Amino acid sequence: MSLLRVEGVSKSYGNERVLRDVTFGMDRGDVEVVVGPSGSGKSTLLRCVNRLTEVDAGEVYLDDACVTAPDTDVDALRRQVGMVFQGFNLFAHLTARKNVTLGLRRVLGMDAAAAREKADAHLERVGLGAQADSYPAELSGGQQQRVGIARALAMDPKLMLFDEPTSALDPELIGEVLGVMRDLVAEGMTMLVVTHEMGFARSAADTLSFLEDGRIVERGPPERLFERPEHERTAAFLGRLTDLHGGSADRSVEADGRPDAGGESGPASDRAGGTSGADGAGGP
Amino acid sequence: MSDATADGASDGTADAARQRTLPRGTDVRSALALAAGLLFWGWLVVRWLNDWLGGVLVGRGEPLLAAEPFESAAAVLDGLAASLGVLGWPIDVLAGLAGFAAFGVEFLPALARGAWLTVVLTAVSIVLGFLVAVPLSVARVYGTRSAWLSLAYAELIRGTPLLAQLFVLYYGLSLSAWIRELPAVGTGIVPGQAVWVAIVGFTINSAAYQAEYIRAALESVAAGQLTAARAIGLSKLDGIRYVVLPQGLRYAIPGWSNELVYLIKYSSLAAFITVPELFDRADTIAADNFEYTAMYALAALLYLGLVLSASKLLARLERRVAIPGLGQVAGRQGS
Repeated sequence: MSLLRVEGVSKSYGNERVLRDVTFGMDRGDVEVVVGPSGSGKSTLLRCVNRLTEVDAGEVYLDDACVTAPDTDVDALRRQVGMVFQGFNLFAHLTARKNVTLGLRRVLGMDAAAAREKADAHLERVGLGAQADSYPAELSGGQQQRVGIARALAMDPKLMLFDEPTSALDPELIGEVLGVMRDLVAEGMTMLVVTHEMGFARSAADTLSFLEDGRIVERGPPERLFERPEHERTAAFLGRLTDLHGGSADRSVEADGRPDAGGESGPASDRAGGTSGADGAGGP
Repeated sequence: MSDATADGASDGTADAARQRTLPRGTDVRSALALAAGLLFWGWLVVRWLNDWLGGVLVGRGEPLLAAEPFESAAAVLDGLAASLGVLGWPIDVLAGLAGFAAFGVEFLPALARGAWLTVVLTAVSIVLGFLVAVPLSVARVYGTRSAWLSLAYAELIRGTPLLAQLFVLYYGLSLSAWIRELPAVGTGIVPGQAVWVAIVGFTINSAAYQAEYIRAALESVAAGQLTAARAIGLSKLDGIRYVVLPQGLRYAIPGWSNELVYLIKYSSLAAFITVPELFDRADTIAADNFEYTAMYALAALLYLGLVLSASKLLARLERRVAIPGLGQVAGRQGS
């Protein structure tokens, strides 16, 4: 049973068709990386999944519940889907800890002590236990993004959406964020990731989709798209990205100096099966 | 300087030196401001208590100081100035000041009672106006149909004279007669109906202006903030409440303090609907003794005291609720 099904989704802004009949599915524990030139609709696709953007046509199903139905409780839906933003979007007036507890308290209704404990655990998990009392402006970009990930994870989502999580970061800070994302992959989190980090796509993704002009041009295991792409556009785009955003070199390993949880040998080879279970960190 | 501000961490010694020298100058100034404030408010509060309690220190409305020493000083200085001829002008100025002080001692008690109503009108109206302005501004920024209602309200109220609004409320509608029937109105410390009508009028008016300041501040909160709030499952209203407003209201403080300062002064329009506030007192007394310039100058001094206190208070508030990276307080202090 698929965790996420996107069926024939189309979206236009005015005359500009951002998504055209996009269809794909993800199983529990899958890691799907979406790449494509800017303006190709990647962000819009993510935002259609948690309904920050309304689709014009098509349906999205999460766990067989129709996300796009008009009577769906969007707030209840979004509780199950974590989102990490390119610009971090941390709540600027709250400390790192309170960024995490806000949702726990006001959405899940946890009491202050329990929320605090859970928030601290999640900040610890992304390596920011010591920064719990810092305000976003006092943190580096990489730290902010890790708080953003902790904030989303604390809600115990079934699915995590990453919208270019490292694109706004200085190169030396990318590794720490990718490191946290790799830990998540190893824990079996279901992740839909828009990124230009080809090293991550190659080694961590189960499936790679190349999106252009709102269409999925090509989709498949990353090694096939990298080695034997069917479309010339895919080859040209992936080649250019690999030149720019480090292909084989793995930044999370480079920066952290710690072994990569996902392993370099083959994508997802050592992860518990793609289709079944492995959702220890998944659903509540 | 700008280097030290931008990169304090790398230049620790210069930064520490600045930290040491900066507060010392500020300390003297803030101590002086504090002393002046304590004197001003101490005097006001003593006067109010004295008059409410039926004259504890001095009779109701009687000056705390005697006017005679100032009067005789003025007379002596006047004589001295006259004997010095043209060269006596600096003495003449001193004589004038002593005379003004004597005048102040005599009439400030009456103005202090008026200042009480000015403070009440301003404080109650700014708070009530704020409570109306917050939903108005939220509706304006995030509403659809309610945005139009909020806009219509703001334009109608801001587009018509406050005095006309007060007249409509006081003479046009039967609000005044209706309030008069309420129990306790006009007895003891509870002010009479005209004051309540003025409060209603100022609240309606100030809400429109405050809503504009707050709207502008809400619009300066990054859009991604609400998006992130929605993404973790907060409803739009909760997102506004817990994420947008705490930031927006902080941004709003400097502009909003402008509204408080205005309100202190335009509360004088209440004089036109018979509220015996500060301006009304000065005007009434001046009509009696024909010392218009001196009376208005005294009233102006009191308004100045109120306004400076208000802006000082809000500047403190702004610093107190400041959050790193939010707003510009820290940056301003350094340079």
